[in-house]
Formats: sequence, C-alpha cells, structure tokens
Amino acid sequence: MNGVARHFTMAWRNIMRRKRRTLITAASVASGFLIALTFTGTADWSYTNMIDTSAKMGYGHVTVSPEGYFESPTVEKRIHGSAAIRDAVLRGGGVDDAVIRIFGQGMFATAAKSVGGTLIGIDPAHDSAERNVFINALNEGRLFTGADDPEVVIGKKLAEKLNLRIGKKLVYTSADVNGEIFSGMARVGGIFRTGVDAVDGGVILLPIDRLRHALHYDPQDATLIAVFIGDQRRAPETSGRLAAHLRLQGAEVLPWRQTQAELAGLISIDRAIGVLFQFFVGLLVAAGILDTTLMSVLERKHEFGVMLAVGMAPKNLFLLVLTESFYIGVLGLAIGGLIAIPWYWFMYHTGIDLRGYIPEGYDAGGVPMELALKMRLYWERIAAITAGVFLLTLAAGLYPAWKASRIPPMESIRNI
Amino acid sequence: MNAFMVVLLAALFLPFPAAAETPREKAARILNGIDDMWRGESSHGIMLMRVKTRNYSRNLKMEGWSKGKDRSLVRIVQPLKEKNTATLKSGNDIFTYLPQTDRTIRLTSGMMMGSWMGSHFTNDDLVKESRMLDDYHAEITFEGTRDGMNIMEFTLIPKPESAVVWGKIILTVRDEKIPVTEIFHDEDMNISRTMTFTDLKNFSGRIIPAVLKVVPVDKPDEYTEIVHESLEFDVTLRDELFSLASLRKK
Repeated sequence: MNGVARHFTMAWRNIMRRKRRTLITAASVASGFLIALTFTGTADWSYTNMIDTSAKMGYGHVTVSPEGYFESPTVEKRIHGSAAIRDAVLRGGGVDDAVIRIFGQGMFATAAKSVGGTLIGIDPAHDSAERNVFINALNEGRLFTGADDPEVVIGKKLAEKLNLRIGKKLVYTSADVNGEIFSGMARVGGIFRTGVDAVDGGVILLPIDRLRHALHYDPQDATLIAVFIGDQRRAPETSGRLAAHLRLQGAEVLPWRQTQAELAGLISIDRAIGVLFQFFVGLLVAAGILDTTLMSVLERKHEFGVMLAVGMAPKNLFLLVLTESFYIGVLGLAIGGLIAIPWYWFMYHTGIDLRGYIPEGYDAGGVPMELALKMRLYWERIAAITAGVFLLTLAAGLYPAWKASRIPPMESIRNI
Repeated sequence: MNAFMVVLLAALFLPFPAAAETPREKAARILNGIDDMWRGESSHGIMLMRVKTRNYSRNLKMEGWSKGKDRSLVRIVQPLKEKNTATLKSGNDIFTYLPQTDRTIRLTSGMMMGSWMGSHFTNDDLVKESRMLDDYHAEITFEGTRDGMNIMEFTLIPKPESAVVWGKIILTVRDEKIPVTEIFHDEDMNISRTMTFTDLKNFSGRIIPAVLKVVPVDKPDEYTEIVHESLEFDVTLRDELFSLASLRKK
C-alpha cells in the first residue's frame, strides 16, 4: 500500500471510529446540499415558467423587431417582409418556432363602457396554445380561424367591464400608421382567462390581416416576429446567431432580457436575494461541520501528539484531517444525492400546490404565475451546488486540520 | 280655344305632380336634414354646458366656431378658473389647450373614448362626421300624432360592418325636421342613454332645438345639458382661426 492510499485508508478508518458523529456531520452536509438544490431548483422552475409564459404573452424568447421599438413602441415602427424573415429564422435552425404578430394600443367600446388596452394581431395558422398564453387560456368560445375574420378574442375581465358575451360586438378605436384614427367592429368569438386582471381586462386578439388593413400596413408588415426556443438560457446566443444570419436593415434581434426588461430585473433581484440567503444557509452548515470536526481533532490531541512524536510530518497530519473532511463531504453529498433523486422527481412532476396559500391571479410584473411550487434543475447548477457544498466542507475542515498540525507533541503526550 | 288645347297647355306649362316618395327616400331626406340641421358652411355661437355627475357639477359657458364639416374650435369663456381652455378639431385630430399649464395636447386614439370636458360626450362624438345613414339602416316605425305633435319615429339598426356601439337607435322627429328624442339601445336592446331636444328657437332663420340633454340610463341622476344661447350660420371665418396658434390664444 503506498503512502497516499495509506493516508486515505487512515482518514476513512478515523471517521468510521465515530460512526454516529460522522453520520450526523454528513447529514448536515446532505441537508445543506438539499436546501441549496431545492432553493435553486424552485427558483429556476419559477423563473423558467415566468420567462416562458412572458414569451408566450407576445414577444417570444428572442424577438425580431424594428430598431428602437422597445424604447418607444409605436405602430409606425414595423418590419417589412415578415413572412420571408420568419422563413429565414426557421431555416437558420436552433429554434422551435417563429410567430408573426402586430401590437397596438387602442380603446374598446360597447354601449356600456369604453376601456383602453392592447390589440394583438395574430395569424391563427401559425399561432397556437403552445405559443400563445391567451389562446391557451381560452375558456369560452373559440379562436377565429381566418386571418381576416371579423372576430376577436378578449379577456374575461374586459368582457365583464364591457358587458360582452360570445357573439356580441365590440368597437375598437386606434391610430393607423399615418396617425389617423380609425374604428373597427368585430364580434366576440372567444373569451380567455389567465387569472391576472390587468391582462384579462386589457388585451384583445384580432386576426392579423384585419389589423394590418386597419393600420394601413403593407401585406407583409408586422410589429415583430416572436421566436421560441426550447431553453430560454440560450436566448442571448440565439439572438446573436440570428442577427448574424439575418443581417437585417432597420431591424434588430433581441433576447428576452432586453424585450422584457421589467421581468429580467425582477428575476435578477430575486436571484440575488436567493444567493445571499443560500450563502447564509451555507455558513450555518459550515459552522456545524467546523464544530464537529474541531471537536474530533481536540478529542484526538493525544493521538496526534503521539503521531507527531514518532515522526509524522505536521503537513501530513494537516492533510489527514482535511481528507477526513473530504470523506465527510463525499459521504454527505452521496446521502444528499440519494434523497435528492426522489425529492426532485416529486417536485418536478407533482410539486406542492399553493392554491390554498396564494390568491388566484397572482402575477409577477404582469406575468401570470402558476400557483405551485415545483423544481427544475439544470446540470450546471447541480455541478455548481455539488462543488460549492464540497468546497465548503473542505473549507470547514481547514481550521481543525491546521489546529491538528500545530499540536505540540510533548505537551499533548504529557497531558493524558 | 278648344278643350284639347286647354289640356295640352296644362300639360306643357303646369308642373307635373311630384313623383310619389318611397318610405326609404322619405327617411333619407328627413335624416339627412337633421344631420345638416347644425351644419352650415360655417357657424359661430355661444352655449352653456351643464354637467352633473355623482361626483361633481359644473357649468361652462363656451364660445364655438366651425367651418365645413371637419374644423371647429370651442373655447371656455366662464368660469374664470377654466377660461381659455379650448378644444380644436381639425380633420380626425383633436387638440386640447390647457392654459393653466400652457400645454397643448393632441388626443391619441386611446383618449378618443374619454369624456369631452368632463361631460357625458366622448371626444369621439366630436370627431364623428358620418351621417346616420352611413352607419344605420333606417325605417319609419311610427307616423302620426303623439302628445299633440306631428311625430315620425325612426328605428335605426346598425349596418353589419358599421363601427358603432349601439344595437338600435329610436329617433323621434316632429314636423319632419325637428328632433325630439333619440334613444340609444345596447345590443341586448336595453336602453343605454337618452337624448332630448327641447326649446325650439330661431337661429339665423333656422328653427333649431336650443337645449340638448343627455342622460345615461344606468346613472339617471347624471346628465349633460347644452343650451345654445346664440347661433349664427354662414358667417365669414378665417382659416387661421382653426390653427394651433389660435387654439393657444388667450
């Protein structure tokens, strides 16, 4: 047996001498690992959910839009040849879908009342429940089938405010591309309900060609192309690649962080608070490990004194104690990993229902939230947490190891 | 002159009896006449507007000018606090001038359904230039005497593609030219608001109701009443009167 193997064997035997303490210390490492995994996983699930829902509310994960549109959105700003750009986006690969949409502001009126809101022109041939949160939330009637149908889909709250039902008419007023005011009439074909009052009370979906005509747009003009990708984290890379591939004049390709800045800010703040919280949890876990490891060192003062007296180098004693921490870390992570697998499976598929605790219609920056606590973990996060917890365990072992290496041999032997 | 010659001369020189007017033509003639009642090549007048809502009451005295169908200027004369607040309509655009802040605001589409000067009229009511027959199919549904007046009642049903919010309008007209009431129904045929026209006066040779009152049915305690104190038609007005510079003039 060579020196290194002997060193590891000794460290393993040492921690196995006090199995209960080793198990308790490893359990605190495991709990730290599970806490970090749960916090990161639930946060990532909730962020991904919010980002995907927000993308489905209009702009996609990546947006092809007129230059400067998101600084000051107006109907005058539009992209030309939207169908060709969409085809080029899809041909470029690496995206799940691309949907052409028109956005505008207007007033919606019936004999009962008039309220302001957002008009979204969509093409029913390309848009779907999978890509559009409003179609997904349709709970009465149906989506218009033609791009020029005289029908609209409105939010439940808007229907209540304007006293509208399926089949009833609504007059919308807006300004066209020349700034001229126009009015149009449409029948309510469907009613959606996302649960967020601000959304349900102020959005109508119109057939894209009808809105295009009213705005005096050219046949292929649109406000933007919403691009969808499978993993929102690839948005910056995808937008850069698409910008290089499309080489558009007067248009830009932006990731969701730039088109949905409010949501991005909200997530950044929440993530920073989460990291800070996890740091403090980590400190507590580390203090627990430090405490038990230091205790085990002080208990073995005499033993270490003898080892040093018979010629063991202090450096080797330092490494021996550190190796014990290494084993505790590995053991703790193994236990944590074993518990994490069924825990993650449950939290990913079922989760915890929060409907009894959070009022319906809860939203973050206008984005409807799913009232459940679920987890989603990415491999790089698992790797970072594993490495973080492991390094923390090693760091907690540094002081006891240093302390062990500094034990004066003679004094330790004398004070039996 | 024999009898034959008498008949021939009569046929040549006496006017033919007017061809019988169809109900549709009659309705069109009367409704267009009402549309044109307040219109002229140009006009100038003074009016009072009384607005009563659940939250406030206000009385405004205003001076107004119009030229053609698409240009008008209304300026508040009283009370002093709101004096010189003005609204300019030019084509499809509406501008409002607020002297307190010395700001001119162009009303966006989102503001078109907002209240005009706190009344029960919307800015959109001011912009609309279309004739009733552009947006509605009209039918005479009553003709006869009612409350001692020679009354004709029109039922106006919106055309399928018309961008109007009403489900039906019942317009009552006296003597084939003076509106008496206009009752607006929603799509479920429930009454939404009523408009009454009273106090007939002679303005520049036209007999016109001097008082117009709007009452929303869901808020029967509220109303907006416009009383024309004076109204002249076909006056000479300079084009510059309907400019932004003129709007800001104090």
